[in-house]
Amino acid sequence: MNAQYASLLIAVPLISAFFVPLIKGFGKRTVKYYLMLVTLVQTAIAGAVFVNVYRTGEPMIVMAGGWKPPVGINLYVGPFAALFVLIVAIMSFFMAVFSLKAVETEPIDKYAMLFLLLMLGATGMIATGDLFNLFVFMEITSISAYALTAYNKTGEAAEASLKYIILGGIGSSFFLIGVALIYGATGTLNMAHLAQLAPYIDPKVAQVGLALLIFGLAVEAELFPLNAWAPDAYQAAPHPITAMFSAFVVKAGLYAAARLLYIMQNASGWGSVLKMVVIMAALTVFVAEFSALRQRDVKRMIAYSSISQVGMIAFALALGTQAGVEAGVFHMINHAIVKALLFLAVGYVGITLGGTGIEKFSGLGRRMPLTAFSITVGSLAAVGIPLFNIFWSKIRILIAGVEAGYTWGVALILGASVVEAVYYIRLIHTMWFGEGEGRIRENLAIGTIALFLVLLILFIGLYPNYFWTVSQKAGQDIFNVVDYVKNVPLMGVGS
Amino acid sequence: MNVPDISVYYFGAIALVLIGLYAVLVKKNVLKILIGLSIMETGVNLLLVSIGYISGKSAPILSEGITASNAVDPIPQALVLTAIVIGVATTAMALSVAIILYEKYGTLNVEEIRRLRG
Repeated sequence: MNAQYASLLIAVPLISAFFVPLIKGFGKRTVKYYLMLVTLVQTAIAGAVFVNVYRTGEPMIVMAGGWKPPVGINLYVGPFAALFVLIVAIMSFFMAVFSLKAVETEPIDKYAMLFLLLMLGATGMIATGDLFNLFVFMEITSISAYALTAYNKTGEAAEASLKYIILGGIGSSFFLIGVALIYGATGTLNMAHLAQLAPYIDPKVAQVGLALLIFGLAVEAELFPLNAWAPDAYQAAPHPITAMFSAFVVKAGLYAAARLLYIMQNASGWGSVLKMVVIMAALTVFVAEFSALRQRDVKRMIAYSSISQVGMIAFALALGTQAGVEAGVFHMINHAIVKALLFLAVGYVGITLGGTGIEKFSGLGRRMPLTAFSITVGSLAAVGIPLFNIFWSKIRILIAGVEAGYTWGVALILGASVVEAVYYIRLIHTMWFGEGEGRIRENLAIGTIALFLVLLILFIGLYPNYFWTVSQKAGQDIFNVVDYVKNVPLMGVGS
Repeated sequence: MNVPDISVYYFGAIALVLIGLYAVLVKKNVLKILIGLSIMETGVNLLLVSIGYISGKSAPILSEGITASNAVDPIPQALVLTAIVIGVATTAMALSVAIILYEKYGTLNVEEIRRLRG
């Protein structure tokens, strides 16, 4: 397969988003089916790219306009990007199906457009090989995310969106200052070229620049001081969008942060930036778990739980060891599956029973057995009970943390897990032993998706090795910068 | 050692960023916060342009008498053009959200807009 085909991953959602106004002429339902069709096509392309990258073991490199990097902008679809672009596409498809039922607010054509742009932005952030291009895709993601957060047009939605805009605006300014510093010191924006030039940057500039870049990305990646927007946005956004935020928008930010961290690993003073990220990540876990404990709204509670898991991933990625990065990538996959399932099921309860307060979940086991079963499996998996998928990645993160000498961080995460178990078990108890009668017919399509995700969780829980080998390859793609540089066909400029 | 001429731009840019950040963090009115964000963006753009500036050279537009040797670095200028467009989109988005907020809450004071918490 010619590597240039990978550019379809960007081109298809973009061109499809522009065709939405034409499709709107055929009626409101058509727009939703069109959304499903486009995400399905995207899944097919992403699947083909994934198979190609993993079969040949070679990354696919798209050079925009045929200009060789660092003069031209390149996309780098290596093992990690291929895997996550596929996850983005599959999750988008599931959420497009869920939108059929879950989104009734007008204007649906704008929703479809923003949905596609959000998918495009996350795909681009994962696939790009250029620092400024990363910024552009980050802004595409965040501007469509701002708009989707406010989509329900309630006061709460506007409030959440405004918080997100302000923090996102500060973050993107920091990111640009970081870009300015790094560009001023090296004269290049290409990531592979940066990796080559990293050892020659003045240590102070490298540290400050990298820290600013990470701070800018921390807004998207929901790391501690900059994640105040996340629970509000998760609660106020339409249900499918919440699942997308948690399943891949965060992951795109985390990946970009990890990629930039390891690109600069030869710069002097790298270790101190790494330590900063570990501290931010550990605080994220700790603060989010204790906030989750206090919630009365299940969607918000799961939002906090999602943030704490993200902190765990960031902790693993910032350990600076290969084992840590691999475990982090494995956790990213598991977290995407589990949180997509939980937000899907909770969102479905929200639209059927008219709210996601804890009292609505009372006796759900008798009212909507399939949904309650999915939430139960998702919760048990999120806590990290053996036989479920997150157990395997969590234990690998903990082992990697101890090996890297961060025993305090590991202790903090273990303590936080106990808190997590408390509120998830409280939810399960309310669902199965609370009062509540009246059986409700469950939607077939949503039930099928939920069951598929449940089976995936159990499958990874029982046979983790298939996914573990894949995430090992993806982790090496991030960690092994020497190979990354070798794979990008740099023109011999400046180096 | 003399302070090079260029540093005035750096100081100006950083000052703008800090003024903007101050407005975002301290002001209570949503519109003032958004103005602060815009000022911050302007500061960042100025910083980017001044990083590519070489004293005494002209704009990187290919015309008579201008060659690659006497023009400034064009890349930061391209970046700034993109960043300005993105900034406009963000500001438009934020202002429309502010309009909805005013309709729903009847105020633009951030201390009174607090239904989501905890």
